[in-house]
Amino acid sequence: MSADIKNDGDSKPAFAEATVSLPATGIATVERKEPPPEKEADTRRRTWIVVSFWLIAVFVGLPIWWNTTTIYRANLPLTQMTDWADGKACEPVFPLRIALDVGALPEQEAQNLLRLTQHALDDLNDFSGHHLRLQLGQAPTETTPQARDDSNVALTIRLAPGDAAHTASSSLHPHLPILDVQYPPNSLPTANSPSSGLATYIATQLGSTFAEEQNIISYLLETSSITPEHRPKGISQEVVDTVSKRMTRSLKYSQTYHLTFSLFTNGPVPSSWDIEAAIDEYLKPVLDMLKPIHDFTIDTQVQLYASPGVQSQVLGKEDLSSFINAAEWPLSPSIGGAPTVNFIVYIGNQTIGVPSETSPGETSQSWMIPQWGSVYLLAPPAEATHVPSETLKQPILTFTSHLLTLLGTPQSGSLPLRLSTLARIRSADLLLRAASSLGSLARLTLALPSISIPSNVADGVVKTIHHLELACASLGGAKSLEHARIAEAEAERAFFEKSMVGQLYFPDEHKVAVYLPLLGPIGVPLVMGLLNEIKAWKNRRSQKLKAA
Amino acid sequence: MSFQATAGTTGLFVVAAALRLLLFTAFPGLPNLLTGRVEISTPVTSFKRLQEGLFLYNHNVSPYDGGVYHQAPLLLPLFSLLPDPTIYPIFTYILYTLVDLLSANALFKIAESGEGGASRLYSSPRKEKRWSGYVVAALFLFNPFTIATCIGRPTSVFTTCAILHAVAKALSGNIFTSMLSLSFAAYLSMYPLLLLPPMVILAYDRTYNYKAPKSLAQLAGMCTLAVGVSLSLLFLSSYALTGSWEFLSSTYGIQLTLTDLTPNAGLWWYFFTEMFDSFRSFFLGVFWLHLSSYTPALTIRLRQQPLAVITLLLGIFAIFKPYPSIADTSLFLSLVPCFRHVFPLLRYSFVTASVVLYGTFLGPAFYHLWIYAGSGNANFFYAITLVWSLGLSLLVSDLAFAVLRDEWEVERPEMRGKEIRQI
Repeated sequence: MSADIKNDGDSKPAFAEATVSLPATGIATVERKEPPPEKEADTRRRTWIVVSFWLIAVFVGLPIWWNTTTIYRANLPLTQMTDWADGKACEPVFPLRIALDVGALPEQEAQNLLRLTQHALDDLNDFSGHHLRLQLGQAPTETTPQARDDSNVALTIRLAPGDAAHTASSSLHPHLPILDVQYPPNSLPTANSPSSGLATYIATQLGSTFAEEQNIISYLLETSSITPEHRPKGISQEVVDTVSKRMTRSLKYSQTYHLTFSLFTNGPVPSSWDIEAAIDEYLKPVLDMLKPIHDFTIDTQVQLYASPGVQSQVLGKEDLSSFINAAEWPLSPSIGGAPTVNFIVYIGNQTIGVPSETSPGETSQSWMIPQWGSVYLLAPPAEATHVPSETLKQPILTFTSHLLTLLGTPQSGSLPLRLSTLARIRSADLLLRAASSLGSLARLTLALPSISIPSNVADGVVKTIHHLELACASLGGAKSLEHARIAEAEAERAFFEKSMVGQLYFPDEHKVAVYLPLLGPIGVPLVMGLLNEIKAWKNRRSQKLKAA
Repeated sequence: MSFQATAGTTGLFVVAAALRLLLFTAFPGLPNLLTGRVEISTPVTSFKRLQEGLFLYNHNVSPYDGGVYHQAPLLLPLFSLLPDPTIYPIFTYILYTLVDLLSANALFKIAESGEGGASRLYSSPRKEKRWSGYVVAALFLFNPFTIATCIGRPTSVFTTCAILHAVAKALSGNIFTSMLSLSFAAYLSMYPLLLLPPMVILAYDRTYNYKAPKSLAQLAGMCTLAVGVSLSLLFLSSYALTGSWEFLSSTYGIQLTLTDLTPNAGLWWYFFTEMFDSFRSFFLGVFWLHLSSYTPALTIRLRQQPLAVITLLLGIFAIFKPYPSIADTSLFLSLVPCFRHVFPLLRYSFVTASVVLYGTFLGPAFYHLWIYAGSGNANFFYAITLVWSLGLSLLVSDLAFAVLRDEWEVERPEMRGKEIRQI
């Protein structure tokens, strides 16, 4: 609107006030009538208008542009972060303390046995990440199982003289982390003997007890971001394959899991089940034992006339994966952020046609769906409308074992041992994952110099590193899992910061698309106006010079 | 046009008031229907939101809790004096009708002053051709946009009234009353603050004493001071009323940051729903800068006709402000008839009228398609608001052209009626 409206003498002849003259040549020409010169006041006014736009653009626009588009990058401890990711900051070593309860043996002999067994262990164990350390101690009893918590003892070996004359035997206590070893009375080592059959036997037993844990931890280290020189000796490809198969089956770690028990029937009955009693009786004890590692919330549902995804009478192997009718069955994926584990009891007359060969514990009535849950096919009960608690015993027990597998619990050993192993595996896993998230964040920061880093990301990183240090210091201990969990959560939060994720893919070319629609329509008149003013000013000056 | 200039506007006002009260009472569902229309009620003017704020206020809760109410705090005691509008709606109806009549009265004075055709520094050769205040007030009172706004009861009618009174008082030489009125408008809606420069010039021109000329800078300083003091008083009383400064961010902050993206007739909401988050604040700055950059330039260019500056600025605000509604359009359209003398110079009056009508009729239809029928999407409604804004900007630029051409013809009388070209 700043443009002045002036007439143009060169407009259409019909409107132009053209005077026709007849010069000497006799050819009629149209003489152009020049517009009168612009008044000084008008020129000055136009200058003021251009200046007013430019003043606003420069003194208000530029600061706004500068303030709103400068990228805030909080300082991140990049070297520390890469150190963690490369494994330089923390030696992933799990010192496991094994107590030796020698019972009535004299002190001297016990010390001797301890020394020899430790030797044998050290000879046997070639994996430095997993260190078994023996000490003398009392075995916990059923009444005081908490005793072990203070000392962080992973396992107690309870020695007792046995009846067998020549061979030692051992068995794992089903409810407590105790390895009972019965030895022939004559196999105790003498004071200066360099080796002992009993010591070697104990060492071998311990080795096989913890073999699975060692494998899993080596596998975790192997697949982590830690550089080869900082991680312990590798494991064979074979072991990697088996462990990775098992690990992919288990759910991602979470503090809380939501268990959904669903009863689906293909007809109108049964319409009720004693699920609460069954859970209390068969599942609760295991959940209570898992308490230090996970929390669980439970809900149940019943759905009548539920048709499965596969209609055939006998289910083949390939039918199992499509049996779940995801479209119609009300199985919500996740409630309140906690991952859901689904347990389905299906009452119908279908059977599984494949004999389960891999895991003998699995009945031919159930199968597990990796990272999702498990299904149990139940024959219609005699009492048509109601499923009593006893009928649910087998399904719930199966579910319990499936749940442990889904949580990533190792297969071998007694339950308390498996659970303490689970805690160690999980803390190693979380520690490595948090460290690798830190590494990714550090690489991202270096790779994208234009990404903004809010201060809460820096806070998250500092917190992560703090908790990683604590977790690393207490590796193998009870606090380790807690710290590793916080570290992992903080690292994830920092990496997936909302304002950063949006900029992950924001190349500089996009800025052209952002600025051009603006700079085009606004910039062109602004710049042209300024150029015209400068040109006019130069003209005026040269005319003044000429006149002078 | 052969309207007789009469001072007796009583009959007109009675008819206008009767029409409004008739519409209010004969169609009891109409007020609530119009209150819900996005074209009339914006997040910063809606009557529904006002009632929410009023409810909270009357229950001793901060009216800004819950993030629904974004209007000035001083409206609350005014409306809490009235009986509950859900039980005795008639009092609200009467209040809004009265506000409309007050606006019309101010408009009557503006038109009667003849400032549109002849100011202190400029006298149009066509100034004889003008409409009386009676006609201008009638055009305002019977404009369907004004009537719809009155029945929809947005609080923007108070801003309209305050702006018109500020202009009328400036014309009659009551500088301080005018500035107080402008402060009220700015307090209610913030954007009228941008009208301060042309308002100062208008007041300066109308109080100009040829014998003892005062300096413009002095008057401008005084006016700015007056506006500053009255705004501070209004803010302080708001603070005393609500007990915190929260109202600043909840009323003006919302307009500045556009946190409420409820669709409206303007251009901002769609743009900012699509905006990259990291550039949002930058573009908010750009949009506001664009809106405010017109004020100095227009004031300088049309220094001789300050009323034209105000009219054009109101037109620009009705298009480019963050939460525009047809109330802003009706304010702009109410001042346009003061420039009756340049109507023959308008080049696109037919196109403008068609486009505005097109937008008026298709806007609600497209909104219905998007929100209720589900057979359209947000682009439908945005497209029609683009058309609507195009129509209004055609009118604004055409009016600016006509006013400038009128000025130019004084300078070059020989060019009357000739086609012109920009060089």
